[in-house]
Amino acid sequence: MKSAWGWFLLAPPLVLALVFFVVPLVYLFWVSLHASSTSELYGAALTLRNYSDVLADSFYLTIVRRTLGVAAVILGLCLLIGYPVAYFVALLPVRRRMLAILLLLFPLMVSNVVRAYGWVSLLERRGVVNSTLRDLHLIDAPLDLLYTPSAVVIALMTILLPYMVISIANTLAALDRRYQEAAQALGASPLRTFLHVTLPLSTPGIASGTLLVFLLTLSAYVTITLLGGPRSKLLVSLIYDSVTAFQWPRAAALAFVLLALALAFTGLILALLRPGRVQGAGR
Amino acid sequence: MKAALSAGSMLRGTATTIAFALIVVPILIVVVAAFSPNDYFQFPPPGFSLRWFVEFFGLQTMRDAFVLSIELALASATIATILGTLAALFLARRHGAIAALLQSLFLAPLVFPTLILGVALLLLYKTIGMPVFPGLLLAHCIVGMPYGFRTVLASAQALDPALEEAGQSLGADPLRTLFLVTLPLIWPGVLSGWLFAFIVSFGELNTALFLTGPGVTTLPIEIFSYLQFTGSQLVIAAASSVQIALIVILVAVIERVVGIARITRAR
Repeated sequence: MKSAWGWFLLAPPLVLALVFFVVPLVYLFWVSLHASSTSELYGAALTLRNYSDVLADSFYLTIVRRTLGVAAVILGLCLLIGYPVAYFVALLPVRRRMLAILLLLFPLMVSNVVRAYGWVSLLERRGVVNSTLRDLHLIDAPLDLLYTPSAVVIALMTILLPYMVISIANTLAALDRRYQEAAQALGASPLRTFLHVTLPLSTPGIASGTLLVFLLTLSAYVTITLLGGPRSKLLVSLIYDSVTAFQWPRAAALAFVLLALALAFTGLILALLRPGRVQGAGR
Repeated sequence: MKAALSAGSMLRGTATTIAFALIVVPILIVVVAAFSPNDYFQFPPPGFSLRWFVEFFGLQTMRDAFVLSIELALASATIATILGTLAALFLARRHGAIAALLQSLFLAPLVFPTLILGVALLLLYKTIGMPVFPGLLLAHCIVGMPYGFRTVLASAQALDPALEEAGQSLGADPLRTLFLVTLPLIWPGVLSGWLFAFIVSFGELNTALFLTGPGVTTLPIEIFSYLQFTGSQLVIAAASSVQIALIVILVAVIERVVGIARITRAR
């Protein structure tokens, strides 16, 4: 009786998750191991060539390197700006902190295409930045701000920044103030207290913010396309292009290269920051 | 020491101002641009007009995409929340390796690169010949399910198990207990999960990018292709503002729901 009830609860969501999440990914992996075909979705022969081609081709390696570079810059900026902001938000009184978090959550609910469009209308040749600079007689001809790697970095960084701030602010707000007071009472300077007490205790927030920002950067196709244009392509753009060219095995292999990067980075962050060792600060 | 403290708080204040400006300004610009009277956006705006909203609702493709997005969000949020609720009720009181594994499976779409899920689903759909709308709906269910699951799990775990046991010991079967005891107590979690799933579906890009088809397009994808192929025109600002307005309303509702949840917990 009890187990029948358990199955009644579990079966529908489990079936959905297995059939439309796990199975498609396994199938995608299976396709990535096949030769391409002009008439079918994929050829009959099993092969590792899709992976070896990607890893041997300097074009793909350049794109992978560029993807990691852009992700690293975005991550660095998010940490650099996000940490002080999170600290500020965490120190606010409860009601104002809730309001600040709500203000940070709201942009995350607006579709990324809308937020990317906001940056397009700021940066395009007839955009707000160019027309303001011209009205101030600072420039004669409009600057080409759009379709550059910097445009991608600025837009994606600000789109993802709230994730970093919220993750760190939640950890900092839950922190027991007495740790910092104890350090200061024992004669540590504010900087020393921050570096040896506050910062290590906030690693769970840093880790989850870092992972979110990195993983979302990897798959931000629309933002990258709208702000980077055809010349600043990243790994996701290649996946999209392969799909539209019906190169299924190639698209599948590139998808798993991206997943491998995501997984390797997750492992690296968990190993470096070891968020689990901070007790009770997880939430 | 005092100087160091104030330097630190000045840094934090400056960083916060810059960060909030960078986050909010691109969204505000879109809303301001939508009310432009001119063909091109001028800043500061020379006047006020609703012509781009009229144009937005006049364009058949935009209107269709808007209606489809609403239908899709309503249907997928409902399915995702029901399934997420079932999963949360199953896992609320279970521990151990299998429970942990199931929990990560149900939460996985939150962090999984959904663009890859879109590619994988398109490949599967092409192989089995899935029609466009159901395929898109199922993808949005997968993406939305973690939200319903997460909020209901939190509510269900905060629930006093004695209440459900009381229901059962008074002779109610599990289904009656679910509808008469559990659901009335966790409904704020269910409702806010539904609203989050709705919002996520309404703005979803990464799976819809692959799964929309001719005549079956969501509003975010319509905005994206318009920007790519027709260029940045102000009708896009109007379309975006409609999006933003809907989310503002839903966030206000969530705020109320969460407020109500707090009151019920206080009792």
